[in-house]
Amino acid sequence: MLNYKRPVDVPEEVDNGKVEPNLLPGEIKIAEANNVLKFAPLKTNKTGISGTLFVTNFKVSFVTSLPVDSKEAELHERSLQSHYLGVHDVCLSEVDLVYQISEGSTKKKRLLYNAPLPARVSGLQLVLKNLRVFNFCFKFTPAGEDVRIGQALLHHAFPPSIDHLFLSCGHPSPFTGIPEFCLAQDWEKELQRTRCPNWRVSKHNEFFNLCSSLPTVVVVPRDLLDAQLEQAAQHFQGTRPPVWCWGALGGAALVRMAQISPNISDKISVTKSMGTLQRRKLEEESQQQENRMMGLVHRCHPKKLQPTIIDLDQKLPSLKDVNISYIKLRELHTPDDPTQFWEQDRHYFSRWESSRWLSYVSKCLEVAQNAASAIAHHNSSVILQESEGRDMSAVISSLVQLLLDPQVRTLRGFHSLIQKEWVALGHSFCSRLGHTRNQPEEQSPVWLLFLDCVHQLSLQHHAALEFTSEYLLALWHASHCSLHSSFMFNSVNAKYSAKAVLQRENPQQPVYLRPVWSWWAEDHDWLGSEQNGSSESVKGRRSAARDLFLNVHYIQNLMESLVVSGALGRLRDPVSSAHHTWHRIQYLLGDSGPLPYDPNAPLGPLQIDASLRVDVALSSLKPWHECFSGWISEPSVTINEIDSLSRQSTTTVQHWEHVRQIYYTIKSHLSETLTNGVAE
Amino acid sequence: MFSGGGIEKRGISKAVNKRSSSRRSSSSSTGSGSTSGSSSGSGSSSGSSSESGRSNNSGSSSGSGSGSGSGSTPLGSPPHVQMASHESLNSESKSSSLNSKLGHESAGSPSAGSPSPPKSVCSSSSTSTDQHHHHQLAHVLNATSKLTVREGTRTLRPDEPTLVPGEHMEGTAREVTYLCPYTGPKKGTLSVTNYRLYFRSPETDPPFELEVPLGVVSRIEKVGGANTSRGENSYGIEIFCKDIRNLRFAHKQENHSRRMVTEKLLQYAFPASHKLPFFAFEYCEQYPENGWTVYEPIAELKRQGLPNESWRITRLNEDYELCETYPAVWAVPAAASDTDLRNVAAFRSRGRIPVLSWIHPESQATITRCAQPLVGVSGKRSRDDEAYIQHIMDANAQSHKIFIMDARPSVNAVANKARGGGYESEDAYQNAEVQFLDIHNIHVMRESLRKLQEVCYPHIDNAHWLSNLEATHWLDHIRCVLSGALRIADKVESLKTSVVVHCSDGWDRTAQLTALAMLMLDGYYRTIPGFAVLIEKEWLSFGHKFAQRIGHGDDRHQDEDRSPVFLQFVDCVCQVMKQFPHAFQFTEDLLITVLDHLYSCLFGTFLYNSERERMEKEVKTKTVSLWSLILSNPSDFENPLYNPATRHHVLFPLTSMRHLCLWDKYYCRWNPSMRPQEPVHIRFKELLHVKGQLERRVDELRRELAARQTHDSPRVTSAIV
Repeated sequence: MLNYKRPVDVPEEVDNGKVEPNLLPGEIKIAEANNVLKFAPLKTNKTGISGTLFVTNFKVSFVTSLPVDSKEAELHERSLQSHYLGVHDVCLSEVDLVYQISEGSTKKKRLLYNAPLPARVSGLQLVLKNLRVFNFCFKFTPAGEDVRIGQALLHHAFPPSIDHLFLSCGHPSPFTGIPEFCLAQDWEKELQRTRCPNWRVSKHNEFFNLCSSLPTVVVVPRDLLDAQLEQAAQHFQGTRPPVWCWGALGGAALVRMAQISPNISDKISVTKSMGTLQRRKLEEESQQQENRMMGLVHRCHPKKLQPTIIDLDQKLPSLKDVNISYIKLRELHTPDDPTQFWEQDRHYFSRWESSRWLSYVSKCLEVAQNAASAIAHHNSSVILQESEGRDMSAVISSLVQLLLDPQVRTLRGFHSLIQKEWVALGHSFCSRLGHTRNQPEEQSPVWLLFLDCVHQLSLQHHAALEFTSEYLLALWHASHCSLHSSFMFNSVNAKYSAKAVLQRENPQQPVYLRPVWSWWAEDHDWLGSEQNGSSESVKGRRSAARDLFLNVHYIQNLMESLVVSGALGRLRDPVSSAHHTWHRIQYLLGDSGPLPYDPNAPLGPLQIDASLRVDVALSSLKPWHECFSGWISEPSVTINEIDSLSRQSTTTVQHWEHVRQIYYTIKSHLSETLTNGVAE
Repeated sequence: MFSGGGIEKRGISKAVNKRSSSRRSSSSSTGSGSTSGSSSGSGSSSGSSSESGRSNNSGSSSGSGSGSGSGSTPLGSPPHVQMASHESLNSESKSSSLNSKLGHESAGSPSAGSPSPPKSVCSSSSTSTDQHHHHQLAHVLNATSKLTVREGTRTLRPDEPTLVPGEHMEGTAREVTYLCPYTGPKKGTLSVTNYRLYFRSPETDPPFELEVPLGVVSRIEKVGGANTSRGENSYGIEIFCKDIRNLRFAHKQENHSRRMVTEKLLQYAFPASHKLPFFAFEYCEQYPENGWTVYEPIAELKRQGLPNESWRITRLNEDYELCETYPAVWAVPAAASDTDLRNVAAFRSRGRIPVLSWIHPESQATITRCAQPLVGVSGKRSRDDEAYIQHIMDANAQSHKIFIMDARPSVNAVANKARGGGYESEDAYQNAEVQFLDIHNIHVMRESLRKLQEVCYPHIDNAHWLSNLEATHWLDHIRCVLSGALRIADKVESLKTSVVVHCSDGWDRTAQLTALAMLMLDGYYRTIPGFAVLIEKEWLSFGHKFAQRIGHGDDRHQDEDRSPVFLQFVDCVCQVMKQFPHAFQFTEDLLITVLDHLYSCLFGTFLYNSERERMEKEVKTKTVSLWSLILSNPSDFENPLYNPATRHHVLFPLTSMRHLCLWDKYYCRWNPSMRPQEPVHIRFKELLHVKGQLERRVDELRRELAARQTHDSPRVTSAIV
């Protein structure tokens, strides 16, 4: 498939010392191949760059002294793992597919983790989970190195269990102020914040004895005793009893509930002697339990209004549907050559449609919208019912909160939301994103579906969210990097076990699993400075990424609220809203420390009348190009690939400039009044 | 839908009015002088005196120009009074138009949190959301006539439109129902002037308004007959518009208002078919800027650095004799004599010889445009033409090659040989490389737009939106045109090689390609005056047949010569603009305004087919230029994000489908459910406003502080003393 007619940069023998990859503490080099050519996919002029390819227990690393493609560099800079990985590096858990490719042939052969390799591998293609494609050619590689690197890659990129991945870089996470929702106080604060009465925190799952996929503390109806809870749990799939996740001011609660277990008989009693009569009796019992739970939710409502039950299994696509849809999009966005690109391009829109991805996004938004309006307009509690209650219910529950709770639309609120709905309540990231080689049929990018929903929301209300779509995309990319522990495990319990395993294997080294949020507070570059530039530029690069991740329109709105007459005069009055706004602006614009929020302040209380409406019509939804075709460069029609002028991405630069100017004007004014005030 | 049978029972004169367009046009041409008379006759024969009375009334008012009777109050006031009232409205509209929201804020009622931003730049009249689609047009009209105030402060009847200078009422029908496809039927008053149709319904708050310049109308059909129409709102007219919408009005049969309205509409929507002048010749608004002076051919060539040693300027075509569809002034290779030019003209279709469009300021590589060579089936050659192409190549010292870009698919180019046309053979033209750009002809484009309209209006089939959109191939054609232009720009910029562009006649696809390539290459054309020059030069002076392609004032709606070629060009500009938001001095509002007046016939700019025809009709002296409106109100169109430094950059847009998007702000603007995103440039304007206000507040506080200190300090000193 690759055309080597013009072997550009014919590799020279490296003689000035050996090239080495940058290793993190605890990282080990496993294999290396010299004189490897890396080809940018779809470049018509077939430019390849030569370098040395390494496989370590953390990453696939391509080391070259040649300059980096500007687009790759840009995309690298806006990733949340740029301090762990270099521009040409790939974390092993990011690898989705490995193909063997050969010279002059368009055929490629998929290599599974246990595939035997031929004596000579002419090239490898890596398709990453974020749809980035790497082509490596081993034409000039010394014999044997190609096969060794291939074997190492296949072996380590698809581990049998999660603890085989490189999960800890040996340094503790900085303080982020994001609750993990594994402690009773986190949930209690959330109950207080939403002022939702009649619910209590139960610690009955302390040793994951009740349910292994839920955190040790869960919020349940106040009238439900722990013993009843335990009994009820048995009747639900995954032994997951209904749990509270959010509440509205009127007292309506948002509850996630699993379906009652259909094969309960197999679970409870292994004896086959149980007759149909007994089974029916058990089914009836489950039904009763479900009804009892619903009744309890009903009674929790201060006005005793009927809860709305939404059966997500019926209304939303199945996990399999979502995955099939994603695979179609993956095919559409990883063309092998320009011919295929243009061929696909001709039917681009209809292929998008036939993937059904946008219709799934639309359905999720619609269901969320309906749930939100049941809560907001009818003050009705909503029970989201789904098979195990760990996938679509996370999507819908999160979306409902985004629509109704302005706190959740801030960066910190959003982080808390993900921590609560996805991490703590046990979305099985490991299975769904395929971090291990087990159960490929369990894979389904529900998480991406959610992020796309939020993306559409931000398109339609572009000043409503404190963060940008670029940040959502960065989160999607980050969810494949094993050093971000947030998206690696199936549950909190799985995380604890993996940690224990790591600790046991290596008792001397402390194991630190760092949540992805630590990026914001990070001031350390883990890689050697040569590859990522001097440490000076670390800050610069991070602040550039910050500008991309924070929504300047949101800040503009904050500033607009200071235009109210007299607001500027009240900036230092601690009870005024102007003071509060100014406090937030200061954090966002980065004077008060690395985090764009005050990590010690409590999350703000729920506000009324701040709900968003989202247009769910398919024609109003847009394909998320930055996500799906962000890595492909259009094969150039022109002779020079000069990027004549930077395109859209720079539109916010001017915005930021003026926002900063406003900020400094107000700040200097404040310091003047301060000095004058002191003089007085 | 159209119940012809019912009509025929009523009488022959009506049936003639009712049938297909060709019949109608013949009937109107035969009896153009006596239309009103004959219709009133038929009206009285049908038994209603009131109807005939009214139609007579309005007929006489149109003749005399002074109002009488019930429905024509505004005509009662003499013209100068009207003018004055318009001016007073003018001053008001200025404050309330563009910065309506900002002005509102500065007045001291800022909305905390998230203020709802203005949806369109000039919107000020009605802001109810369900009126979104009518609102859009109001915006354009406001920009046009600067008559934005609709409520209060005027002595006219509220259900009649504010007239522009030169406009007068032609008729009014009451109790007419507008069948809005989005918000349901609305009852109100329908007025027809010699410029527009105006409908107002007081049923909603704010009142529902709809204004359509009659130039936009492509076809008018009666719906339902007197005896066949049973259901509610089944008797009326349907108006098909060139701007992708259809309007349906239901009349009450017993009011007998339909005939008058239809007649007036037919007359003023299709003046060319009725031997009447375009409204542009009656429109007499005064603008501070004169748009007719924006393009001076010699000045534009001088700006490009011509004449120089290789290129000369010739007035050989001053009388439009050598080529009647070309402009008077040409830039041609200096090496070619006038005789050469005449000989070349004989070998090019319609005498449209290669003439310079643009020259690269550094490399001297050029873009020249022409029509196809008359090669024919026998493969004729012209030594003069070959030498001429060689001259064009030689005029550029940087390259020993020349590209001939044939915009057509190669099959079509070959097929043209049968009709005497064809393309240059690379054997005959040494050093020339012929490339085909695969852009389809006007008929394909027309069909594509028709399909697009079906997909966009009135309702969108959400489940199949993307595949339906793809099936129209509209974006596919856009992609083709864009990538063709990109190829030309690339050859000129990157290879420093000259390019000759042609299609069959060199006035449709060629104009698209040269104009777009020039827009990419030369930042001047991305300024507001520059864009006007580009359109004046590449489209108007080089004879894009606007009259034919748009069908101005012509009732033959099925005319095969109509095609959205210019719309397609504007769409391409918008695509480039979206990819380079900093590179254009204007926003898409300018593009939409241009498109609206492409049809409106308010301005003389787009009337007629060629420079020659416009000279003959004295368009420049008798009508107002669209550029007068635009250059007089630049702030309505300016892009706050514009970075003038980009002027020296070349734009190479991406042309794959995934980087193109449907211009929903234009095509779907009537649909209130398609709420396009708030453009970033408006957001940016707001930011600058907020910045200004905050800076002012800070200054105030500073002064206050200083004042307090000077006030305080003596007290302090006295305390010490």
